[in-house]
Amino acid sequence: MPRHYDLCARVQNGFAARLRRIAVPDTKLNLAISNVLYKEGFIAGVSRGDHVQPDTDYVSTTPDNIATRRLWLELKYNNDEPVLKKMSAVSKPSKKIVMKVEELQNLAAGNRAQFIKGLQPGEIAILTTNYGVLELRDALEKGAGGEVLCRAI
Amino acid sequence: MASPALWQRCIAASALASTSRNVTRTFTTTSAVAMARQRPGASKPTVARVPGLDQPGTLHNLSEIHPLLDHYPRKTDQDGNLDLETPKLWASAPPLDNMLKNQADDDVDEASLPHGLTKDDLKKFLKRALVVKRTSNMTTAGKIPSMYALVVVGNGEGIAGYGEGKDDEVARAVRKATNRAMRNLTAFDRYDDRTIYHDIDHKFHATNIQFRSRPPGFGNRCNHYIHEICSCIGILDISAKVWGSRNPMNVIKATFEALSLKQKLPEDIARGRGKRVVDVQHTYYGANE
Repeated sequence: MPRHYDLCARVQNGFAARLRRIAVPDTKLNLAISNVLYKEGFIAGVSRGDHVQPDTDYVSTTPDNIATRRLWLELKYNNDEPVLKKMSAVSKPSKKIVMKVEELQNLAAGNRAQFIKGLQPGEIAILTTNYGVLELRDALEKGAGGEVLCRAI
Repeated sequence: MASPALWQRCIAASALASTSRNVTRTFTTTSAVAMARQRPGASKPTVARVPGLDQPGTLHNLSEIHPLLDHYPRKTDQDGNLDLETPKLWASAPPLDNMLKNQADDDVDEASLPHGLTKDDLKKFLKRALVVKRTSNMTTAGKIPSMYALVVVGNGEGIAGYGEGKDDEVARAVRKATNRAMRNLTAFDRYDDRTIYHDIDHKFHATNIQFRSRPPGFGNRCNHYIHEICSCIGILDISAKVWGSRNPMNVIKATFEALSLKQKLPEDIARGRGKRVVDVQHTYYGANE
């Protein structure tokens, strides 16, 4: 069961290698994090597909084809530079990071919280909350804390 | 290859020589060559490009300037007479190494200055000689000492540069470094004209520097070399820590590299992601609205 740190590595390496699109395992968590990245403008699109290419028509997931199912993320570049420079995991198996609303407010202001550095201009943090996988500022709007999965800049 | 000076001497010599001297031998085409030229079946008879060269005994007067044979016509006076007495001066031996070494190149080309600067602006620049040291070049003749200077210049409004210079005297080395610094000016981005846009981590050789953006009134709390550079650039609030090597030259070069290359402006970030960026800080808290 690939966790969020697997996605961080794939996305970061894909951008560093200047790929057009990358295939990641098709799981609920990967889809949720990819949606957040898409809404924030880091990637150009998310679609389901084969291990070879994205689907042109709808293909339902069945026990026969589940092994080949992938999520395809279209990567973005601007001014000869990747739009996403770095995507790293915050909460790791060795140390899980769960934050309250006050700590998240500190992070959003650029200050340290729980040994995690504050967000720089243009940086986002993705966390799981009771309302689902949200970006940090969206979670603050809802007044929800949770496990901080990863940060991207 | 005969040099032009040699040509002039030849012309002078031939003008004095007797005309009866048989000089045609060198320029005559042999009958065999002439025969080869007049190939059977050729449509056009071959004509010598220089008139008179294919017929023996009809050489042009060597004391006259020939448009083809004389590549370097000398200056003639109004009557058209050659001045054969005064030799033409060609580039002599290059200047001695010492003369070149001790030139400070004080004249800066105003057209080459960036950002629309003028020479008057340069006079008002801050100049800081941050590193002055004595180097020695070990040769078979022994140790040859030399003074090295690293100078940082800046106008305190976002334009700065650094230059290095070496000379036997300190003053001249500093002057060389200052002039080179004036030639290598770059513009630096500053948020609110007082600090950097975001935290920067940079590694240059063995020097690692962490820069942190700070609120107004904080001051430049950093390494003394970085402090001087910030005052030249016009950065008022910054926090920095140098890890690893604190070699002055490398700290200065690392700072310039980091502040010019590694800053990302919010507008560029927003453009890459397809978002609009709105300045909330100045609209909400700004005093000038």
